[in-house]
Amino acid sequence: MSLGAAALAQVKDTLSVDLPGQPATLDPHIQWDTDSYHVYRNIFDNLITRDPSGKIVPQVASAWTYRTPTEIEFTIRTDIKFHDGSALTPEDVVFSVKRITDPAFKSPQLTQFNSIIDARVAGPDKVLLVTEKPYPVLLAQLVKLSIVPKAHVEKVGAEKFNLEPMGSGPYKFAGWQRGVRVTLEANDAYWRGKPAIRTVTFQNVADEATRIANLKSGRADITRAISPDQAQALKSEARLKLLPVPTERVGFLFINAQWGPGTDLRVRRAIAHAIDRKLIVDALYGGFATPVDVVLTPANFGYVSGIPSYPFDPVRARALVKEAGAEGAEVVFGTSPAYDQRLVQALQQMLQEVGLKVTIRMTDHPTFLRRRQGNPDEAGSISTGLWSCGCQDADGVINPLFRTGSTWAKYSNPKFDAAIDAARATIDDAERLKHYADALRILYEDVPGVGMFQYHAIYASRREVQWQPTAGESFAVFDMKWQN
Amino acid sequence: MSRYLLGRAAQSVLAVFGVMTIVFVIMRLSGDPTLLLVPEGATREQIDALRAQLGFDRPIAVQYADYLWTLGRLDLGQSVVQRLPVWRIVGERIPYTAWLASTALAFSVGIGIPVGVATAVWRGTLVERALMPLVLVGQSMPTFWSGILLIMLFGVGLGWLPTSGADDWRAVIMPAVALGGLSMATFARITRTAVMEELGKDYVRAIRAKGVAQPVVVIRHVLRNGAVPIVTIAALEIANLLAGAVIVETVFAWPGMGQLAVQSIQARDFLVVQAIVLLVSVSYVLLNFAADMLYGVIDPRIRLRGGPR
Repeated sequence: MSLGAAALAQVKDTLSVDLPGQPATLDPHIQWDTDSYHVYRNIFDNLITRDPSGKIVPQVASAWTYRTPTEIEFTIRTDIKFHDGSALTPEDVVFSVKRITDPAFKSPQLTQFNSIIDARVAGPDKVLLVTEKPYPVLLAQLVKLSIVPKAHVEKVGAEKFNLEPMGSGPYKFAGWQRGVRVTLEANDAYWRGKPAIRTVTFQNVADEATRIANLKSGRADITRAISPDQAQALKSEARLKLLPVPTERVGFLFINAQWGPGTDLRVRRAIAHAIDRKLIVDALYGGFATPVDVVLTPANFGYVSGIPSYPFDPVRARALVKEAGAEGAEVVFGTSPAYDQRLVQALQQMLQEVGLKVTIRMTDHPTFLRRRQGNPDEAGSISTGLWSCGCQDADGVINPLFRTGSTWAKYSNPKFDAAIDAARATIDDAERLKHYADALRILYEDVPGVGMFQYHAIYASRREVQWQPTAGESFAVFDMKWQN
Repeated sequence: MSRYLLGRAAQSVLAVFGVMTIVFVIMRLSGDPTLLLVPEGATREQIDALRAQLGFDRPIAVQYADYLWTLGRLDLGQSVVQRLPVWRIVGERIPYTAWLASTALAFSVGIGIPVGVATAVWRGTLVERALMPLVLVGQSMPTFWSGILLIMLFGVGLGWLPTSGADDWRAVIMPAVALGGLSMATFARITRTAVMEELGKDYVRAIRAKGVAQPVVVIRHVLRNGAVPIVTIAALEIANLLAGAVIVETVFAWPGMGQLAVQSIQARDFLVVQAIVLLVSVSYVLLNFAADMLYGVIDPRIRLRGGPR
């Protein structure tokens, strides 16, 4: 596959993408892990989407209005065709909603959409979605709803559709050599225009060093999941470039407020004072992270600046530990190989330095999750997390993490619950922001967790690839092109 | 002979069954895939609902009985992660694993046995000193490292071979060398020991005294008599090459069963893991059985229990 001088003179029109995993499925309603999503995002259109700045904008739906706080009406574009030439209709939208919300379908994404209790066609180009209660995050969730062709899915059945997916997106499914690659071809009839890149292949390359070797040798044009260490080394490669992007993932430290030394508020505050965010961001992430003071990122709706925070102050932290009589108290640090162990060890060191005794408890990931979500006495005293709800909304972050009764919460404060419940009960954005500011202030007072940094996703590509990644980690090949 | 065969067959079935049961129980004791499948913000009720739908809320014994019932109908079940029949997911990987393992075996036998013979025959000479480092490197170099070095040299630096994937015959060379390195060293060591032992025996001196040329002595007589340990090792090595390609397949993005095994274990895709374990344990058993049968062919003095005397 060496390129001759003649080939180099023209702009390339194929793209070879290395992903760390193979897509689990290409049926967009079954899986939404990052690698599956990177591929099927290009085969399907979503009901609505986000622009590069993160704003929710039309896609299959050209407009929407709230009829009542629980009823939202979408106007469906009439010029969209599936890859078999059939028109995308409101029936397909309704079918897609009903398919993913049917408990018998067992979609892991059910929880993102089960606030929808009814979906119906409300006119030749209208669809009405009804929620049980006012649900302000609905639009943010619908950004992830792929529209599938009703007639085709019903005709070929779930298994065939999974093997040979068909949508209305900018790329048509062309082949899947499982474990090796998925091939997509440009859909010239695409309603937003002809894609510049004609053929896209997604290879499954688990090892990061191999992905980089593939980039260097020209076997791959772009890859994701580059670690900050490798990113530093790649900066000097003239033929390659780095494409880092701040995401909605927040790196935070959970503190168990219902078991162990963390039951004492002074210990929780001491832990907050003991963390040197700047050191973590610079030394561990080489600048490929942004320090945050709250358990939320600027990419989330509900992020409010100006919330007070605990500055790095080991002297104050040590004094608080002493005051609480917790010197040498054992802090159990639960973790699994899914988390960055350099971060775990750095935090262990920082907490030891202010007088706590930190024991790392490493288990496999499912066991970690089971304990972390279990009773307070199983969950450990602290653990790191890298949270993304995939909805870029505070509701999907601080609600599951800290609301009384949530599987993740080892903390309870009725005032906090009231604030986030109020933020969920209205569709008025200004009012929601006010409630989230209250909620974040309560979290500052109570410290059931400490926000540390906003995680950056790092892509690397050949220098000639023109593309800007987005906070939602949405891999739209349609937006990419080659430049000489 | 037939009684011996029956006994061996029963033993084999028991061994495979034992491995399957252990893997089944251990995988389930350490958690099910539900938590990995749901979005991070899912509530307890939502998690429990999905778990019940997937059937992981039932006691392990019930799940096991259900699994055996499925197996009994010659079905490997359905993957909860990929939502496809397991035979299809695993079946697609077998040709790649067989291709890689056979190339690696050809490399390890093709280099290992001649090196073993040479270092035994020319013991203490320059030949031995030149070849032994090769054995040492094969023996001691971890594959994740040798793999990356090969990629950097032949893939990126010289551009001779593809850096990863499984598109054509050129793609198999580096993974086969990285995978076969350890086997090559093992074959070389075992052959060397076996040949050295045989060379010191009286019959060799007698043949030599008759004026038979050295190559004929080694190939026709010494190797044949020294073959029993080599065949034993070969059976184990083939099984290792089939099952042990996990790291090589990860480094070279080779779409074989090893890579599938790692991904399925991480995703807690139980039935896929179970099918791979079944396949690997059956191949171990069959290969060992084949080696036992071969002993009798190679060395007529070895008679299997129950055979005619």
